Amino acid sequence: MNHVNTSDWYNSLRQKLESDSSSIEKVSRRSEYWRKSNLDIVSDLVHNTSQIDLSNLKGTCLFEPDLTVLGDIIELASEESDLVSSIMDVIADEESFAKNFFGRLEEKSQKLIPRPLARDNSLSPKVGYALSLSDSFKKPLIIHNKTKTSASNCFQRNLIVIKDDVEATIIETGSNLSVCNSVTEIYLGENAKLNFLDLTGENNIFPKIAHKFCDIAENATFNHFGLRLNTKATRTEIELHLNGHGINTSIANVSLINKRDHFSDENVLVNHNSYECKSRQVFKSVLENDCTSIVRGKIYVAPEAQKTDGYQSSRSLLLSEKSKFLCKPELEIYADDVICSHGSTSSSLDKESLFYLLSRGVLKDKAKEMLITAFISEALDEVEDEGIRSALGHYIGNWTSCFFHE
Amino acid sequence: MLKIDNLKVSLEEEDKQIIKGLSLSINPGEVHAIMGPNGSGKSTLSSVLAGKDGYTVNHGNVKFDGSDLLDAEVEERAALGIFLAFQYPIEIPGVGNMNFLRTALNSQRKTRGQEELNAADFLKLVRSIAKDLEISDEMMKRPVNVGASGGEKKRNEILQMCLLEPRFVILDETDSGLDVDAMKLVSKGVNNFLSSSRSFLVITHYQRLLNYIIPDYVHIMVDGRIVKTGDKKLALHVEETGYKDFLQLGKEKH
Repeated sequence: MNHVNTSDWYNSLRQKLESDSSSIEKVSRRSEYWRKSNLDIVSDLVHNTSQIDLSNLKGTCLFEPDLTVLGDIIELASEESDLVSSIMDVIADEESFAKNFFGRLEEKSQKLIPRPLARDNSLSPKVGYALSLSDSFKKPLIIHNKTKTSASNCFQRNLIVIKDDVEATIIETGSNLSVCNSVTEIYLGENAKLNFLDLTGENNIFPKIAHKFCDIAENATFNHFGLRLNTKATRTEIELHLNGHGINTSIANVSLINKRDHFSDENVLVNHNSYECKSRQVFKSVLENDCTSIVRGKIYVAPEAQKTDGYQSSRSLLLSEKSKFLCKPELEIYADDVICSHGSTSSSLDKESLFYLLSRGVLKDKAKEMLITAFISEALDEVEDEGIRSALGHYIGNWTSCFFHE
Repeated sequence: MLKIDNLKVSLEEEDKQIIKGLSLSINPGEVHAIMGPNGSGKSTLSSVLAGKDGYTVNHGNVKFDGSDLLDAEVEERAALGIFLAFQYPIEIPGVGNMNFLRTALNSQRKTRGQEELNAADFLKLVRSIAKDLEISDEMMKRPVNVGASGGEKKRNEILQMCLLEPRFVILDETDSGLDVDAMKLVSKGVNNFLSSSRSFLVITHYQRLLNYIIPDYVHIMVDGRIVKTGDKKLALHVEETGYKDFLQLGKEKH
C-alpha cells in the first residue's frame, strides 16, 4: 500500500506493475544471474546504525554539490538546480513530464533479465530526483547522496530526460547511509550526449544495488564511469538500449578494494538494436585481501544491427592470493557484419616493472602505487573531460597511496 | 668502492649454480669490462648487484663502501648510488616518463636526506640532459619506454643515469641492438659522465663498445668465474680469437 500522495497516472502504472510482478523470478543463488553475488544487498535486516558514526561516511566529496539527496529530502544549492525536482513531487503531479517516462525502462528491462529489486523500487520510491533538460549546460551537475531512511531498504528513484541535441554531465558523489536500492531511468534524445560519473560508495559499509536503464536515440552518446573505492557490497546493473544508428557508448569502471570481505559486482547489458553503433566496456579491478570483484558484461546484437562495433575488456590486478575476480563476458550476435571482441585477464603486479622502478630508487609503496595507477589508466581514459579526468586521477592516486597501509 | 669476494649464486627455483666463486675489486674512477660467452653468468652478476629477486647467494659477500650490499633492498642500493642500465629496458604503459624520472630522483634525494627538486628545476635539468642525448620532447612525454626503438630505450637508460648521478654504474650489454650512431651517442653520454669518483662495470659480448668506452681492466668470465684479467688489449685478443682459449681455462679451474 502506498501511503504518499500520488497522481492517477502513477497509481495506474503502479497497479499494472504490481500485477505483473508475480511473474518476475525472485533473487536467488540458484539463478545464474545472481549466483556469484553477495546477497546481502537484498537483505531485509534492519542494520543497527546506532553504533556507527554516520557523519564519517561522507563518500567521495570531490566536487561541490549542486544538489544533495539528504535522507529523504532533496536540497538544491546552485542556480542549475532549478531544473531538478524531487521524484516524490513528480509522481504526485498529474501533468508531470515524467508520466511518459517513469517505469517504462524498468518494465522493458524485465523482459530480458528478471530484476525483482528494480520492480520493488518502482512500487515504492522513497526519494530521488527527476530532471528534464532542454538546453545544454557546460558545467557538470553535481549530485551528492546521503540517502537514508528509517526503512531497511531505501528505494531511491531517479529520472533523467535529455532532449535532442542537448549535452550534459552529471556527477554523483556521496554514499548511502542505509541499505540502498536505486533505479535511474535515462532517456537520451537524438544527437544528445550524457556523461554520467557515478562516484558514490567510497568506504560504503551499507549494501547497495544501483540500476541504470538507458534508452538512446540515433547519433546520441552515453558515457558512464563508475568508481568503487572499498565498497562493502555494491552491485550495479546497467542496461543500454541503442535504438538508433550512429550511437556511441562507453561504460568504464574502476574498483579498488582492499578491506576484508568487500566486493563490487558490475553487470552490464548493451543491446545493439540498430546499425553502425559503437559500444565500449572497460573494467579494471584492483583487489587486496579476500576481496571479490564480479564483472558480467554482455553485448547483444540484433539481426538489423549491422556494422556494430562492440568492445569489452575486463582486467584485474590481484594483490593477494585470496582475492577473487569473477568475470563472465558474453556475446549474443544475430547480425553477420559486426566487430565484437572481449578480453579478460587476471594478474599480479608485474615483477619486472616493479624491479625496474625500484632499481631507480622509487620507494616500494610508491612503485606499487604507480603500477596500480598505470593499470587503471585505460578505464580512466574513458572519461572525456580532461579537467574531470585529472581531478579523478589525483583523487584515485591519493587513495591508492593508502592502499598498502591498511 | 665495490669488493666482491668469492661470490657463489644459484637460481632460486632451479638450484642451479650460475656464479661459481667470483672475486672482483673496483676502485673509484675505474672502468672495468666483463666479457664472456653466452651463459657465463654476466647478466646474473648485474642482477645480483642490483638486487633482483630470483637468485640465492650461497657463498661470499659484496661490500660497497665497506658495508654489506646484499643486505640492502633494491631501492636502498639505488639511493646508495648503484645504477643498472638494463640490457632490455622495461616498457611500463600508463606510467609517464617524466613522472617516473621525477619520482625516482626525488625518492633518492629523500632517502639521502636531500631536499626534493621542484618541478621547474627538474624540467630544466632533464631537458638539458635529453638534449645532449638527442631525446625528443615527444619521447619524454610517452609512458616509460613504450613505443621506443631499441636505441631510444638505451638512450633513455643513459638519461636516467645522468639524472640520478649514481657512483657505481653497471652497463649490461648496453651495446646490444644499437647501430653505430646510437652507440657513439650512448658512449658520449657515458664518457661525459666519467669522473674520478665514479666507477663503471661494462658487461658486453663484443669489443666494439670498448673502442668508445675505454676500460682500465678487462675480465673474461667463463662458467661463473673470472678466468683472465688484463687491459684493453685483452678485449682485442678476444675479438680476434674468440673465447675458445678461455673456455679451456674455465674447465681447468673446476
